[in-house]
Amino acid sequence: MSHGEAGGHDFPPTSSVKRWFVTTNHKDIGILYTITALFFLVLGGVLAMLMRVQLWSPGASVLSAGAYNQAVSAHGLLMVFWFISPFAFGFANYLVPLQIGADDLAFPRLNAMSYWAYLFSGLLFIASFFQGGTFDGGWTMYAPLNLPTYMPNIGGTTVVLALIMFIAAVTMGSVNFLTTMYRMRAEGLRMRDLPMFSMSILLMVWMMLFAFAALLAALMILAAEHLFGVTYFSAEGGTLLWTHLFWFFGHPEVYIVFFPALGIMAECFQTFTGQRIVGRKWFVLAMVLVALQSFVVWMHHMFLTGINLEIKTLFMITTIGISLPFDLMVFSLIYTMIKGRIRFTTPFLFSLGALILFIVGGITGVFLGAVVLDYEFRGTYWVVAHFHYVMVGGATGLFAGIYYWFPKMTGRMYDEFLGKVHFALYFVGFNLLYFPLFVAWETPRRVFDYAPGLTSWHQVASIGGFVLGASFLVMFYNLFVSLATGEEVGENPWEYSTTAEWVVSSPPPLENFPGKPSYSGGKLSFRDEPELTADGSGDDEPAGSPSTDGGTTTDGGLASEASETSSDPRSDGGVRTEGAATGGTGLVSDPGTATPAAAGTGTAHGGGPHADHASFWPFVVCFAGFLTFLGVSGIQSGGAYLGLTAVGGLLSAVGFVGFASESFYVPEPTVAEQWPFGGVENMKLGMWTFLASDVVLFGGFIGSYLFLRVANGWIHWHHEFVPEAHVTFPGLVNTYLLLASSFAVVLSLVAAHRNSRRGVVASLSVTWLLGVGFLINKGLEWQHLFHVSTDAFPNGWNVGTNVASSTFYLTTGLHGAHVVVGLIMLLYMIPRAWRGAYLDDDSSIEYFGLYWHFVDIVWLFLFPLFYIL
Amino acid sequence: MARFKLYTAIFVVLMGLSTTQAVVERTGMVDFDAPGTYWTAFGVILVLSFVKATFVATYYMHLRWEPRSVTYLFLGGLFVALALTTAAAYSIL
Ligand SMILES: [Cu+2]
Repeated sequence: MSHGEAGGHDFPPTSSVKRWFVTTNHKDIGILYTITALFFLVLGGVLAMLMRVQLWSPGASVLSAGAYNQAVSAHGLLMVFWFISPFAFGFANYLVPLQIGADDLAFPRLNAMSYWAYLFSGLLFIASFFQGGTFDGGWTMYAPLNLPTYMPNIGGTTVVLALIMFIAAVTMGSVNFLTTMYRMRAEGLRMRDLPMFSMSILLMVWMMLFAFAALLAALMILAAEHLFGVTYFSAEGGTLLWTHLFWFFGHPEVYIVFFPALGIMAECFQTFTGQRIVGRKWFVLAMVLVALQSFVVWMHHMFLTGINLEIKTLFMITTIGISLPFDLMVFSLIYTMIKGRIRFTTPFLFSLGALILFIVGGITGVFLGAVVLDYEFRGTYWVVAHFHYVMVGGATGLFAGIYYWFPKMTGRMYDEFLGKVHFALYFVGFNLLYFPLFVAWETPRRVFDYAPGLTSWHQVASIGGFVLGASFLVMFYNLFVSLATGEEVGENPWEYSTTAEWVVSSPPPLENFPGKPSYSGGKLSFRDEPELTADGSGDDEPAGSPSTDGGTTTDGGLASEASETSSDPRSDGGVRTEGAATGGTGLVSDPGTATPAAAGTGTAHGGGPHADHASFWPFVVCFAGFLTFLGVSGIQSGGAYLGLTAVGGLLSAVGFVGFASESFYVPEPTVAEQWPFGGVENMKLGMWTFLASDVVLFGGFIGSYLFLRVANGWIHWHHEFVPEAHVTFPGLVNTYLLLASSFAVVLSLVAAHRNSRRGVVASLSVTWLLGVGFLINKGLEWQHLFHVSTDAFPNGWNVGTNVASSTFYLTTGLHGAHVVVGLIMLLYMIPRAWRGAYLDDDSSIEYFGLYWHFVDIVWLFLFPLFYIL
Repeated sequence: MARFKLYTAIFVVLMGLSTTQAVVERTGMVDFDAPGTYWTAFGVILVLSFVKATFVATYYMHLRWEPRSVTYLFLGGLFVALALTTAAAYSIL
């Protein structure tokens, strides 16, 4: 029986190329993320090599000044955004559902979409190299260097758009992980008992959700500055505004990058010392504390700016304060080693290396956190060295992860000797590269010329750079060869590993577990499905602790049967469905699943429709997004770019309609630990989480307006920059319209409850009309303002006239765009309501309402801030 | 349906509070050259906005009937946005 025959469940095996374009399975996506991230590591690494060649001697001219600036900027951006976090995301995707006992993430298609958005954002970045030069304003993208005046290349704009697309990927991922980790944990698994790696990912996605939203605000403004000529960052206070927005993201980003490494280090220390993390509770508490604190230290990057001394002092204190919880974590790791018995495997060596590098990076960072020392070191190679010890130190932890989980992901062992060779070359190369930079700290950052006296240090660094680069050839060779010829491993090659991924086969089956994972007995065990238990062929006897291989024996021979019927038994889980359907277990004796119809759609986990694992639409939507963004980047130059934008826009529409109308079934677990969000369905929690990040996005826009207004003088702003005092009326009308539309959405829910199809259609239509009315009123108002003619503004008041017009149009414009998105959703919902879709289940209306009311709430603040005060 | 009456009452309150904001402006309290009354009006109008937003979130978005944790999630986002705005504005005062 082929898969196609099995209930139309068409899921190709891993050997098929098609599989990788349609898969929504978290393990597949994890592998895609990992491989793509390694590709960007190589790309960023090559750029770094170019820089080290240039720095071989002072004033060398291998690269032109412009090319050097581009290499520096692209290296930084690619490594920070497209390599290190996505690399961790790869592990997170693969392992978090396994560690918490879930079948998949809460929103599998959104997960696929997140990956494709990530990949295409990276391709967009690569495209920028071919548009007359890529971004060259440094990875911090400081204003005014990031402005079109200094960066007229289309490529510079493309990079900004690529980052926006990347953040879209990150936000989808964060929402997905948060929903999954809060709502789909195995029975008995409390939040505080999450395995260390999952815990670190939980905190990472929390930080991502908020930090990246702030960066998104900054980048959307920057894109508008490039595309529409608004003036934020070129205005009075504008450069400072950029640094605030950027570092509000940028500092948490350090921990976003480092936390997964910390999680992996903790796991490896536990496994390879046979010792539970000493003071685990305190370790976790310290991580939570750091995650919170990371949002209140950002101004330590701004000690050299004109911010006032009180706040510098305050931020110096918060910054130095953050090293305390880190000390606790470091001592806990060291003490774990002392108490345990160490086995020096490759993953352990990389974990230990990461710890050492991080200690050096941490200590040298304290210098930069102190205001007075920072005056001396800012803008020098001290910062470069410190930064690389921290960030590449984090990457070192991630390389521990790749060796640690390679056997789990591939079913084969890597070569331990080559692994150790990699580590030796890596560690020596790393220190040769970065330690001399502390000594040659007087080298100015971002400049390729330096004092001749520092030459020998730079030459040592360049040699180290090449050793570090070469070490990866060993890694790639090792992993590639082991993939085919490595020794096969069972579930668990590591003694003393404790987490749930090690009890399932390597690689794990499609839906992860042979039964329902449960921690309610204090340890991980598998409960068979009720059908099995009722039949008596299975019972809920614990399968033993994870370090034994008992886990897979409870599946009643399912796995072995599966392997007989499959060409690719390891990872093609569709086969397990067949195994169940062909009756290897007591499943067939259950009346609910014994019918022929159910045999096709039943799952190994019991009756009911089978979870879907394939969709082509995420790929289509993100490819369309790529075309659109590429077109928009050069839209001012017209021609082919206009065509590209149109094609991209059209394909996006097709993609979204396809995505929305595809039937895609994802079961929500019936027995799961859901504190503190029990009773909130996955979709609802996902929507709320997304809205929480949207609050920060709007907060960034409104905050920017307030900041610039303070910087330009609150009253002066009103007198100098605005043509008409107190234009309250159009704003008030729009407030009425939006409030009425919100009320109409509420009425549609009431109508759904009363089972009135007409009522639902009518109230949704009224919502739509009121929304359109809102946009018309806004359009009229804008038209009026564009053509205002006063002594001060003879040419009208348009987007780029001054900082007040820019903030006004862009902020209300972003809000208007939210309204437009809501109206498009309504256009999809109203015909469905006409066919009676929401009468039995009004949850879609409710989720739409959450979005619409939120947009309403934002307006409740825009109204006074832009129209009255 | 009791909820329907409640929602309608809230709608009336929301429209009323919005009108009040405009009325405060009409009374001339929003006077940039008279800081005393201006900042009073500023405070009154923004408080009214927060009250309106709370009504919408609590009843129309059903926060009142969700676990408290959902409210905390939303307030988390709000807190982050406010921290950024106030600290940034304060840094240049
Ligand atoms: Cu920092």
